[in-house]
Amino acid sequence: MASALKAAALRHIRVPVSPTLPLNGSRLNLCGTVRSMSSHGDDHLTKEEVIDRVIDVLKSFPKVDSTKVTPEVHFHKDLGLDSLDTVEIVMALEEEFKLEIPDKEADKIDSCSLAIEYIYNHPMAG
Amino acid sequence: MTSAVPPPVRSEVLLLFRSLLRTSREFADYNIREYTKRRTIDAFRQNRDLSDPSAVVAAFSDGKSQLEVARRQVIVHSLYAPKVKSVMEIKH
Repeated sequence: MASALKAAALRHIRVPVSPTLPLNGSRLNLCGTVRSMSSHGDDHLTKEEVIDRVIDVLKSFPKVDSTKVTPEVHFHKDLGLDSLDTVEIVMALEEEFKLEIPDKEADKIDSCSLAIEYIYNHPMAG
Repeated sequence: MTSAVPPPVRSEVLLLFRSLLRTSREFADYNIREYTKRRTIDAFRQNRDLSDPSAVVAAFSDGKSQLEVARRQVIVHSLYAPKVKSVMEIKH
């Protein structure tokens, strides 16, 4: 039993350094030090996941022609959307990934690739 | 003598649009949330092609007062939030 306690204590100490250890047992104690949105140890979304979800959000937008949607598509030039639509899409992406994108950054996102880049590089993307 | 208020620039209009959408997201009630979102989108789209500057200023100030209304209502509604979630919010 002492060894189990010792192992648990070691796990507690090690968790902030190594993101691959399971957090299920120690989540209550270390919530303040370890910032992780997922419970299965994977700290960050993969690029494919981000791309897929962004494409899904775009396709579910009523004004968008879903056949034209690719990861490099430009909202204004390729999809013919105006700035109001772009704001709507950025809001939908915020909801999908549970992010808060500041206005200055959101103004710069006007193509699918920029959106994917921003979300992928955002540490809090969920 | 009427003082000419300069019409809002594009970025201000988009900022107002985004603020309204953000505020509408904070409503606890599904119906009000969706209505506010729909209404802002429809209103901004309807007023998209205004050319008369005074009309633009009037629409912009109208939007700003609506934003204040929405912000107050978010607080008031949160005091009396519905206890049961709408069926549309149940994830399948």
